[in-house]
Amino acid sequence: MTSRAAAAPVALALAAALFAGCGERTARKRSQQPTSQASVDVSTLKSEDGQPLVIVDESPLVPPTRPADPKALPEDDALHWFDIEYAGWKCRKVNQPRPPAGGARGKRVICLRFMDHPYLTAYTKGMQKVADACGISLKTMVANNDINLQSQQVDQAINERPDLVIILPVDATAVVPLLRKMNQAGIPVIASNLIPIDEGMKYILTWTGPNDWGQFRMLARDFAERMNYDGGYCIVRHMPGSSPFFSRTFAITTELKKIAPKMKCLDMQATKLQAEPTMQVVADWITRFGARLKGIVSADDSGAQIGINEAVAGANREDIIRVAAGNSKVGMDFVKAGTLHAITYQSAEADGALPMKLAVDWLNGKPIEKPVYYLPKRIITRANVDRYMPAQW
Amino acid sequence: MRRRAAVVIARHRIWALLVGILVVMAAIAPNFATTGNFASILRASATHLPAAVGLTLVMIAGHLDLSFGSGMSWAGMVAIGLQPRLGWPGAVAVALTSGALLGLANGALVTRARVNSFIATLGTLTVVQGMVNIASKGGTLAVQDYAAGDWLEGALLGILCPRVVLCLLVAAAAALLGRTRPGRNLLLVGANPTTAWYAGIGTAGYVTAAFALSGVLAAAGGALFAMSVSSANPLMGESSLMVVIAAVIIGGTSMQGGRGSVVQTVVAVVALVSLTNGLSCMGARPETQLLASGFVLGASVLYDARLVRAVAARKGRRPELMLDDWPGKEGTR
Repeated sequence: MTSRAAAAPVALALAAALFAGCGERTARKRSQQPTSQASVDVSTLKSEDGQPLVIVDESPLVPPTRPADPKALPEDDALHWFDIEYAGWKCRKVNQPRPPAGGARGKRVICLRFMDHPYLTAYTKGMQKVADACGISLKTMVANNDINLQSQQVDQAINERPDLVIILPVDATAVVPLLRKMNQAGIPVIASNLIPIDEGMKYILTWTGPNDWGQFRMLARDFAERMNYDGGYCIVRHMPGSSPFFSRTFAITTELKKIAPKMKCLDMQATKLQAEPTMQVVADWITRFGARLKGIVSADDSGAQIGINEAVAGANREDIIRVAAGNSKVGMDFVKAGTLHAITYQSAEADGALPMKLAVDWLNGKPIEKPVYYLPKRIITRANVDRYMPAQW
Repeated sequence: MRRRAAVVIARHRIWALLVGILVVMAAIAPNFATTGNFASILRASATHLPAAVGLTLVMIAGHLDLSFGSGMSWAGMVAIGLQPRLGWPGAVAVALTSGALLGLANGALVTRARVNSFIATLGTLTVVQGMVNIASKGGTLAVQDYAAGDWLEGALLGILCPRVVLCLLVAAAAALLGRTRPGRNLLLVGANPTTAWYAGIGTAGYVTAAFALSGVLAAAGGALFAMSVSSANPLMGESSLMVVIAAVIIGGTSMQGGRGSVVQTVVAVVALVSLTNGLSCMGARPETQLLASGFVLGASVLYDARLVRAVAARKGRRPELMLDDWPGKEGTR
């Protein structure tokens, strides 16, 4: 009886482990199916919404002149954010490894994701599609938005010696020592989705992801037009520490200061992108600011937007203009229903496919030419939302 | 003979759990049984160890400290934030002092204001986390000086690095404390405060000291981790909360006080980290890792409850059997 009791935890853990291990094995088996790299043209692959899977913004990277001390400028000056917005655009890479011999097929790539989220499930699906097409074995680890855990996973990745690591940082700043550690261990790294600060960019081959600053400047222009370039607005922010925490806030405030100086930011708060806390915060804003509140910008068009719409409906303030970062099914349904006025186009699958495409190119010996690869910028409104249906997540 | 073996396993069940996890994971998890991975397990354990040791001391004294997570984050912020001005020694000293002050505040709330320790430390957790968010403005603080981090994480003795050695030394010191008179007094304070008071032991002083030590240890863990990654994130300590509480309970420390072992807590931390590391090697997601940790915690609690019932049933009848049933009968080791 006693020994049985002592063995129970281990047995349960073992059962959980076996259950958990199944998914990865299946993915690995799939990716080992024989596929000729030469015969694969990943440009023909499609996302679930019918859009091309591998897409990239080919615009040249031409940053403005860097001020001597960007931090000395006020936060509503766009150049205050120079080092974040243009992170890596002009950096000199250090200690970059050379591609292994033998091409991409059969190589092992580890993806270190910062959290589990439907967007990132679609992201991984896009990445897996390219990996499968090119015979790459892909393993994913999820850090649960915990820098301690991502640090442990970096150690694990170094220990496993993969051919390349794709990392989605938990934290733009705290990831720098982790990138440096992998660089010193001779592991090639592509960062993706969330951008590290400029200091970290020299340790990676390249960065891929949405042009959050560019997209949100575009969204700000649409938002200003809907607001008639006047009135107060509030911002629901992304997760503290992440790159969109800054870009999805200050791209809006700095752009609006430039194009619509009469518009005033009344408040900004992070609500963990969850519906319930967002609803509470927005309800408070409506009470506190009353008729002065004319618009809300959200860093997320799913969980957070549900909270925003609930609070707006509850207060009978459907007049409030709402725009958000997209494009989830929830967000696109809101756009169709007219309860969300504009969202950014951000294909989750394309976001995941691009770093894997560049990894394949690099493993095949093709040089990576740009320090930063952006996805194209687009805005979705009621007029064009049907083009992007069905939603990817 | 069989009963004897069962008693031995029961008495050393934490070690059995660790060995079981290591053996099973070595057999089924790819890349688990490698030197590099064992080093990684120890590094991950070291992050939680000081706070776990501190919580063990507080729980032995019959109380609970929920504020250690935010204490870790705060100490990390202080160490990184002050490093450019004070250098590492000064910054770490201030971080440890702030941890001690947090612990003393907890102790005063519990012993002087007579606030339940759960409520008191929940309150200080919230206050300190608020301070962390204000100090960091929601972002992450970083330093460009990687020398200290490189040294703390660098190879020292095989799979050990200086940070792991420092944390193990702290745990060893706390374990040795249990063999001293103050250590035994702390056990009595937790087991029966009234008797301790009649015996002339200053119960309030011991409880306050336990909280102060917990604060300092949590701060040490947070500051060391922040130094090792040359940055401090406002949510850094949050993730230790679940692991540390689970490890202390799995390690056999009684929620009622008066029983516990620092050594067993250390082993439980390593066992839990090994379990999640092994699952991660297999590609399991954090939810599965959390589930497995929960199963281990649940099984340990159920097992302890069964022991308590067995002892209670035999009370006054066969006292010699009670000795066999209590795995932690030696008290703090």
